[in-house]
Amino acid sequence: MRRIAIALVILVALAAAPLLLDEYRTTLLLPVFGYSVALLGVNLLFGYGGLVSFGHAMFLAIGAYAAGVATTALELESFEAMLALGVAAALLVAIPVGLLCARYTKIFFGMLTLAFGMLFHSFLFKFYDLTGGDQGMRVRRPTLFGLEFEDLDKTGFLVGPFYWYCLALTALLTLLMWRLVHSPFGLALRAQRDNPRKAEYLGVEVGRTRFVAFLVSAAYGAIGGAMLAVPTGLADPELAYWTHSGTLIFMTLLGGFAHFAGPLLGASTYVLLQDSLMSWTPYWRLVLGAVLALIVLGCPQGLMGLPALLRARLRPALVARTAPAE
Amino acid sequence: MPTTRRSLLAGAAVAPLAAGLPLPAIAQNRPLRVGIIAPRAGVAGTVGEVGLKGAEFAVEKINGAGGVAGRKVELVIEEETNAREATERARRLSLQEKVDCIQGVVSSGVSLALGPVLEESRILTVFWDGTTQDGVKETMRRPRWVFRSTDNECEAVMGSLMAIKHWRGQFVTVAGINPDYSYGRNNWAAFIAFLKRFNIEHRVVAEQWPRVGGMDLTANVAALKAANPDLVFSSLLFADLPVFMRQAHAAGLLEGRKWVFPAAGFQHTSLKNEFTPPGMIFGHNTLYFADPQASPLAREFVHWYNERTKDWPHWEADRAFFSMEVWRRGVEKAVKAKGGGAWPSNAEIAEAIRGIEVVSLGGPGRMRHDGIAEQTFIQGPTVHDPRYDFPILDPAKITRMDGSGLQKPEGGDFWKWIAEARFDI
Amino acid sequence: MGAFLEVTAAGLFHAAVLFLVAAGLQLVFGVQRILNLACGSFYALGAYCGITAGGYALSLGVPPLLALLVLLLAGCAAAVLGPPVERLLRAVYDRDESFQLLLTFALVLMLQDVVRMVWGSSPRQVDGIYLAYGQVEALGARVPVWNLLVLLAALAVALGLGTFLRRTNFGRLLRATAENRRMAASLGVDTGRIYASVFTLGVALGGMGGALVVPSSAATPEMAVELVVEAFAVVVIGGLGSMGGALAGAAIVGLLRAVALVVWPELELMAVYAVVVAVLLLRPAGLFGKPAT
Repeated sequence: MRRIAIALVILVALAAAPLLLDEYRTTLLLPVFGYSVALLGVNLLFGYGGLVSFGHAMFLAIGAYAAGVATTALELESFEAMLALGVAAALLVAIPVGLLCARYTKIFFGMLTLAFGMLFHSFLFKFYDLTGGDQGMRVRRPTLFGLEFEDLDKTGFLVGPFYWYCLALTALLTLLMWRLVHSPFGLALRAQRDNPRKAEYLGVEVGRTRFVAFLVSAAYGAIGGAMLAVPTGLADPELAYWTHSGTLIFMTLLGGFAHFAGPLLGASTYVLLQDSLMSWTPYWRLVLGAVLALIVLGCPQGLMGLPALLRARLRPALVARTAPAE
Repeated sequence: MPTTRRSLLAGAAVAPLAAGLPLPAIAQNRPLRVGIIAPRAGVAGTVGEVGLKGAEFAVEKINGAGGVAGRKVELVIEEETNAREATERARRLSLQEKVDCIQGVVSSGVSLALGPVLEESRILTVFWDGTTQDGVKETMRRPRWVFRSTDNECEAVMGSLMAIKHWRGQFVTVAGINPDYSYGRNNWAAFIAFLKRFNIEHRVVAEQWPRVGGMDLTANVAALKAANPDLVFSSLLFADLPVFMRQAHAAGLLEGRKWVFPAAGFQHTSLKNEFTPPGMIFGHNTLYFADPQASPLAREFVHWYNERTKDWPHWEADRAFFSMEVWRRGVEKAVKAKGGGAWPSNAEIAEAIRGIEVVSLGGPGRMRHDGIAEQTFIQGPTVHDPRYDFPILDPAKITRMDGSGLQKPEGGDFWKWIAEARFDI
Repeated sequence: MGAFLEVTAAGLFHAAVLFLVAAGLQLVFGVQRILNLACGSFYALGAYCGITAGGYALSLGVPPLLALLVLLLAGCAAAVLGPPVERLLRAVYDRDESFQLLLTFALVLMLQDVVRMVWGSSPRQVDGIYLAYGQVEALGARVPVWNLLVLLAALAVALGLGTFLRRTNFGRLLRATAENRRMAASLGVDTGRIYASVFTLGVALGGMGGALVVPSSAATPEMAVELVVEAFAVVVIGGLGSMGGALAGAAIVGLLRAVALVVWPELELMAVYAVVVAVLLLRPAGLFGKPAT
C-alpha cells in the first residue's frame, strides 16, 4: 500500500511539473521519461536476468531511426505509428540477435552484444544514402492521438501535450513491467540469474527465458529511443555507440539494479546530474566516472540501496542483534 | 592610396561605428546577449577557437563604438559537440540564459539538425558556417528565424572552376578523399557535377570516405596510390588534413598528381612546407590572411589575431565577424524603423536582416532574402614563401569570386543551376 | 605489385599497433580474468606522453633518428598508472564480471578527461620525426621506414613476451597463476605482486602502441574509445587469453581493414565487426583460445 501511495505522489508531482517549473527545466524531464522506459528494459536483462549488454543502445537508435523513417520516408505523422514501427523494427532485429546471444552469459554476452551494437552503429554511419550518415535523420513533430496542436510552437508542444503523453506512457509501461517481473516469467528469470543449472533442473527453460527478456527489453529500448528523438528532432548514429550502452548500465547501477524503481531513479538522477555538471565544468566525464567507480566499489546497490547501506553502517549493533535472514 | 570601391566601403563601415548611432530614447540599459555555439574541443576545436576570436574582435569593435544602438554586447558561449547536444545547449541558451540571438555552429551536420529545431522554436539565429542542405538540396526554404551561411558547394564549385581553369586537359582519372559527412558528400557531388557540366572527360577511380576524426589514414593513402589518379579532390578540413598530408607525402602519393583542397584554409598553418609541396589549389573561403588587397579592417584583424595567438587566422573568424555584423546592422535598421521608444522584436530584426549588405573581414557580402549568406571567396594555386613555414597562395594567381556566382540562386535547383548558369573563368 | 605491397604494409602497420594493445589486454585477462575496457585509454595516454616526450626531445636537439627509442620509453611511462589502477581493480576481482567491466568503464570516462585536462581537447601532433626516417622503395612499392620499424618493434615485443612467458621463472609463475590462482597462492606465490606486475606490463604495452602511432598521425581524446572496439575484435578473433591469438587477430583485423578500403570503402569497419560476430557464433574460443568453460 505504501508503495502505491509513494508512486501516486510522484505521479502527481510530475504531472504538475510543467505548471510549476520553468520551460527549460521541464524540457529536461523529457529525456528522463525516455531513459526511464529504456532502462526498465535494460534492468530486466541486468537486474532480473543477470546479463550485461554493451550493445543495448542500438535498440534506442532503432526506435529513434524508426521515428525518423516514419516522418521522412513514410510521411506518417502520428506518434503512435512511430512507436509501433520502432517496436516492430526492434523485435525484427532482436529476434536473430537474441537467439544468438541467449546462449551466452557474462563476458561473452557482453562482447557479443557490443559487437552487434557497433555493427549497427557503423551501418548507420556508413550507409549515407540510406540513413543520412553522421548527420542522422530528421524526426518531425508528431501528432498525438491524431491531434496537431498547431497553435503551439515546438517548445510549447514539448512542455505541454508531449510532456503529459510521455508521462502517461512511462507510467503505463512501468505498470506493465511491474506485472511482468512479478509473474511466473519474472520468477523464472531471477532463477536462471541466480543459478542457471538449478533453474534448468527445476524445469525453467533458461534459453527461452533469456530470449523473451531480450525481446521485451529491446521493445522498451525502442520506445525510449523514440521518446528521446522527438525533443531533439533528430536520430543520430551516436545513439548506438558502445559508450552509450555503457552509460545506460551506469544509469541502472546508479539507481539500483536490485530494486524495481532503481532504473527510474537512475534515469532522473543521471540526466539532472549530467546537466548540472555540464554547466559547471568541462570535465564532467571525470566526475561521472568517479561516481560510477564509487558506486561499483562502495555502493553497488545504487541509490535505492543507500538507505540500507547507511543503516548497516551507522547501526552495526542493531544489525547484529537482529538475526540476518539470507 | 587610390579610392577603390573596397576601401570606400571599408571606410563607410568604420565611420558609423566610430561616430556612434543616434541613441534612441529607451530606458533599456540591459546589455544585449548573444549566445555562441562553437566547438572548443575535438577535431574542430581549433576552428571554433578561431571563430570565437573573430566574434571577440567584432564585439570589441562594437562595444568600443558604444554598442548596438547604444546597448553593449555580451557573449555567452556553449560548446558545439554533436547535433543532439547542440540542440540541448541551444535550448538552454534560449530558455535559461535568455539570449537575444544565437550565433555559431561550424559543422553542417549540426546545423542541419539544429536549424529546424531553432526555426520551430522561433529563436533568431545566424549560423557561422552551418548550412541546412540535404546533399545539395536546401531543406529550409525561406525560414523566418534562422540565417545560414553560404552553401557548402561554394568552395567546391570554386575549387572545381580553379581545377578546370588551371589544369583543363591535363587530367583524366580523378579520385576523392572527403570527410564522411554531409559537407564532404556535398563537396564531392559538386565537383563531379562540374566536370560533367564542362564536358571534361574523366573517370572516377577511387572514392575514400574517412570518418571525421579518424587519424590513421595510412590505409586510405595506400588505396589511393593503388588507384593512381591524375587529380585528387579532397575537402578534408579538420585536424585530419595535416595528418593525411604527412602520411601521403611519406608514401609518395603527392608527387606527380594534381591536388585540389577547397577547404585547406582551415588548417593552412599546420600544412608545413616540408610535407606539402607547392602547386596545389587551396581554398581559403572568405578570409585569406595574406590577401594583398585586404581592407584596413582585415589587416587590423590579422595583426590583432597574430599578436594574441602567434598564429594566422582563417575564414572562421570572418564567418563569426560576418554573422555579428549582419545581426548588428539588422538590429540597427530595425531600431531606426521603429522610431523612438520601443525596442524591435526579434521578428522585426529578422525581417531587417533580410537583404542587408555588410562589409566583412574578407570583403563585401550580404544576406539574401531567403536567409542564405553571400560572401567573397578566395582560392588559388600555392607557392612556398621563405617568410612562412606553410604554403601560401601565389599572389599573382589569386582568384576572387563573389558568392552570387558560386551558389544556386534563391529556391533554385543545384543541378539546373549548374547546367544553365554562366561561369567566367 | 607495388600497390599490393603498399596496401599490405599499411594493414600490417595498423596491425602492429593493435597487437601491442591486444597483447596488454590478453595478459591481463589471462592472469586476472578482467577484460580491461580502459586498454584504449592507456593507449591514448601513451600517445600523449609520446607527443610531449617527442616534442621535448626534438627541442633539446636530440637527433630525430633516436625518436623511436624516445617514444618507446614515453609509451612505457604510461605504466606509472599501472600499480594504482590495479589496486583499484583488486577490489572487484572476486565480484561479478559485470562489475569488473563497469569499473573499467568508469576508468575510461575518468581517463578521457584526465587526458583533456593535461593536454587539452584538440588533436596534438609532433612534426619532424615521421619524415626524418625516410622511405624505402622496393618492388614498385614505397613504404615509410617508420612504418617498418613499428612492425619490427611489434614483432620484437611478441618474441620477447613469448620467451618471457615460457622461459623465465617469472613468466612461469605468471602462467601458473593464470591457470589456477588459488593453487598458486597456496604454493607461496605472491599473487598480489604478480597481478600488479602483469597489469603494469599490460599498460606499458598499450602505451607503447599509442606512442608509436604518434609521428604519423595525431593524438586525440577520442582515440581511446575508438580503439577499444578494434582491440576487442582482435582478442575475440584470436581467442581470449592467447598471445598467439593477439598476433593472429591483429594481423587479420589490420589487413581486413586495409583491403576493405580498396575494395569496398563503405564497409571498412563493418567487415571487421561482421567477422567478430561470425567468430563468436561459430567458434567462440577464437582461433587460438581455449574453449570457454
